Amino acid sequence: MKLNINGVIKTINSDADTPLLWVIRDELKLTGTKFGCGAGLCGACTVHLNGVAIRSCITPISSVEGQSIATIESLSGSDSELHPLQESWIKFNVPQCGYCQSGQLMSAASLLTQNPSPTDEDIDSAMSGNICRCGTYPRIKAAIKATANSPSRTQSDLAYELPVRQTTS
Amino acid sequence: MNHILTSRRNFLKTTLTATGSLSIAIALPGCQSLHKSKLQENGNWDANAWLEITADNRLIFTLDRVEMGQGTYTGLTTLVAEELDTSPDEFEIVFAPADTQYRNRDYGLQLTGGSNSLSTSWQVLRETGAIAKIMLLNAASDVFQVPVDKLTIDNKFVVHPDSSKRISFGELASLASKQALPSDIPLKNKSDFKYIGKASKRLDSQLKVTGNAVYGIDIEIQGTRYAVVSRAPAYGSKANKHNGNTLIGIDGVETVVEIQSGIAIVSTSYWQARKAQKKLDVHWSEHPEMANNLDEVFSIYRKAAEEDKGDVKRSEGDIESVFESTNKQLSAEYTTPFLAHATMEPMNCTAHVQRNRVDIWTSTQAPDVASVAVAKVTSIDLSDVHIHNQFIGGGFGRRLSQDFVAEAAEISAKAGGIIKLVWSREEDTQHDLYRPATLHKINAALDEKGMPLAWDHQIVAPNIMDWYIWDASPAMFPWSPKFMYSTLGKVGLLTAGTPVTPADTSAYEGADDIPYVFPAIEVRHTKADAGIPISYWRSVGHSHTAFAIESMVSELAEQAKVDEYEFRKQLLSNSPRTLGVLEKVAQIGRWGRKTGTNVHQGIAVHKSFGSYVAEMVELKIENGEIKLLKVFCVIDCGLVVNPDIVTMQMESCIIFGATAALYGEITLQDGKVQQSNFHDYPMMRMNQAPEIEVFIIDSDESPTGVGEPGLPPLAPAIASALYKATNKRFRDLPFKLG
Repeated sequence: MKLNINGVIKTINSDADTPLLWVIRDELKLTGTKFGCGAGLCGACTVHLNGVAIRSCITPISSVEGQSIATIESLSGSDSELHPLQESWIKFNVPQCGYCQSGQLMSAASLLTQNPSPTDEDIDSAMSGNICRCGTYPRIKAAIKATANSPSRTQSDLAYELPVRQTTS
Repeated sequence: MNHILTSRRNFLKTTLTATGSLSIAIALPGCQSLHKSKLQENGNWDANAWLEITADNRLIFTLDRVEMGQGTYTGLTTLVAEELDTSPDEFEIVFAPADTQYRNRDYGLQLTGGSNSLSTSWQVLRETGAIAKIMLLNAASDVFQVPVDKLTIDNKFVVHPDSSKRISFGELASLASKQALPSDIPLKNKSDFKYIGKASKRLDSQLKVTGNAVYGIDIEIQGTRYAVVSRAPAYGSKANKHNGNTLIGIDGVETVVEIQSGIAIVSTSYWQARKAQKKLDVHWSEHPEMANNLDEVFSIYRKAAEEDKGDVKRSEGDIESVFESTNKQLSAEYTTPFLAHATMEPMNCTAHVQRNRVDIWTSTQAPDVASVAVAKVTSIDLSDVHIHNQFIGGGFGRRLSQDFVAEAAEISAKAGGIIKLVWSREEDTQHDLYRPATLHKINAALDEKGMPLAWDHQIVAPNIMDWYIWDASPAMFPWSPKFMYSTLGKVGLLTAGTPVTPADTSAYEGADDIPYVFPAIEVRHTKADAGIPISYWRSVGHSHTAFAIESMVSELAEQAKVDEYEFRKQLLSNSPRTLGVLEKVAQIGRWGRKTGTNVHQGIAVHKSFGSYVAEMVELKIENGEIKLLKVFCVIDCGLVVNPDIVTMQMESCIIFGATAALYGEITLQDGKVQQSNFHDYPMMRMNQAPEIEVFIIDSDESPTGVGEPGLPPLAPAIASALYKATNKRFRDLPFKLG
């Protein structure tokens, strides 16, 4: 089976029923995406499928073959320039233990791609699937709002784009 | 300027490492290397710190207090950086291995917990930087042939402003190592601080927003095999028989081994191991004597309360005669449940047991206790156990226990090779060591006007040390032979309260130093243990004592017909710092303001881990649920190193505390924990979280804890608001509107 992860086509050896999370982490060694609950309840495993946030811990790889999957490792882009959300996260001192933050950022990036000017209710609704045990919610919300409202940002800055390269490995 | 005792310089050591780096260690008596020698029995438990300056001008700081979100990575680095006049973000930070020189002086163990990382490091880490600075300046003075007082430091360089000459720390490292150790170690005054006390960015954020921070669960080593463990549903049961052998060869399963805690399946991938686990059938023995459910737990507690008045922890005034002389009394009972830690990173450990050494990669709050856990289940000596600690995806006390490390090591020893063990969320919830359930019985004697004359407080709860000492005490005595380990647990209990073993105050802490002035007070602890595994949980005993005390104070205010804020003020004449935070929170939260329809205020204050915190909540009841709207928080934690990290910790404690107060409850059936994942052990989510406003009292007092003190006052503040909303007293956690 082949998967398109962060713009790279990868040949996968895992069983077809394996959740995408474990392929990303254990086979491809992309460990930025985290395991939290295994049941789609906490959002630590959030990745993008065709630009939309999904829970990789309950997504079997057989269901995403040939589709575009993006992980936290690709959020900052190929030139290592941080995504505006990542910059805001740093500015607002969001992470504490940090374990859930990959998932939080992927949910937030998906939100802003679809809705560049979310209201508080929009943010609550998009982010309430992501648990943070350290309680960084007030700062996450502030960071999302600041990113969305930043006058220097255009909509295309926020739009999530996959790396262009399409290599096989 | 401050000066440390000059006798301590005898213990300073500098070394030039093989790679040309200058290393500075502060070796205090009794703190020699775990690998070479033994702990001296003088009770000296000071922590040590390491700073390495490489020839190519890198500053490497060994962090000996783990980073689990609470901010040591930034805060402790800032202490060294301040004295070295170098920005904290110039430092490379590495996590300390298990070594006696990194012990926490308050415990005699290399342990991060109890909100004392900053207070126990405040002096020694600034000295570490200051010593290096003096030696670097002396070396530069030799190089430039100018007096030291003509030199300054600018971010990893010594500068001679008069000639504009600069030389890097790295270039000076070799020469600096040959300088005489300073006899005095002057430390900066507060007014000269460049980094301490200034809000600054966390040093770990970049790693954590890019997915590059490595947690224990992220360790992936070539050749690793993956393990899952099926454990007994009820604590203490043993596997009688199982069909493990039938699983081998299917789903990549290589072997199935019996370990102390259950049956381990080893496969070539984690998911395959999980699939195989579904086919594992285990017959478990009857579980040993323990409570089957919460009703039994509390009947054990009530029986103990009747049979045993308890050990007196505080006694002032003649409480019996006060109760005899008044006929007006108020009695109340408060209960708190068992709670799981629910760290976002489930328990995990990668272990490689070889003939002569063990390597452990994990996220632990207590590396030396982890070493002991490994030594207990293998034939390897403690000195050959190497702990590679990582970023921690949440601790809250859970990772003080090393059960998951022992499991991984035992599997590696029996199955061979590198083993990565990852617990599922269900296993993490059901095989935790829980915040103990507790029962508080408080009687107050009142005068004619309803003002309190006497406070009689009986706390019924287990001792956490009874459970933890078996793991921890061999780590306190690392030279002892392995056959002594079980005995050492007993010794630890027998010596509790001596300089060797800290007293176990976990059941009553916070109740023994109630700040309110009562003419007579007695606080007693009745020990009762229902056999459910327990451990330290964020703010430990304060998590329940503050709830009982502050809720009762709110009830007493009503008896006295005084506003509960004014009532507290009247009784706080002996505690100006408690009063200070209380008055401030009432001011910023506008206590008693005309709130919107159905919005209710509540207030509480509590001191823990040396810090004073007052909180005020505003809530309403909406669709039959408690909706927390706003929390105001004021903390006095002495001198502040990083104000934004203090604020973050208050926010964190408030949401953690709100989760416990509104949802947190572990229940049992036939000894088995009934909750399993976030659907039935819920966490507060963004749409449920209150707005939070934090105010930090400006203070020059010594720094005290911030990782936990924000939690205890929250539950009683909510209870006080709930009473106004419902006219009903909420005396049992979690709060259920029913």
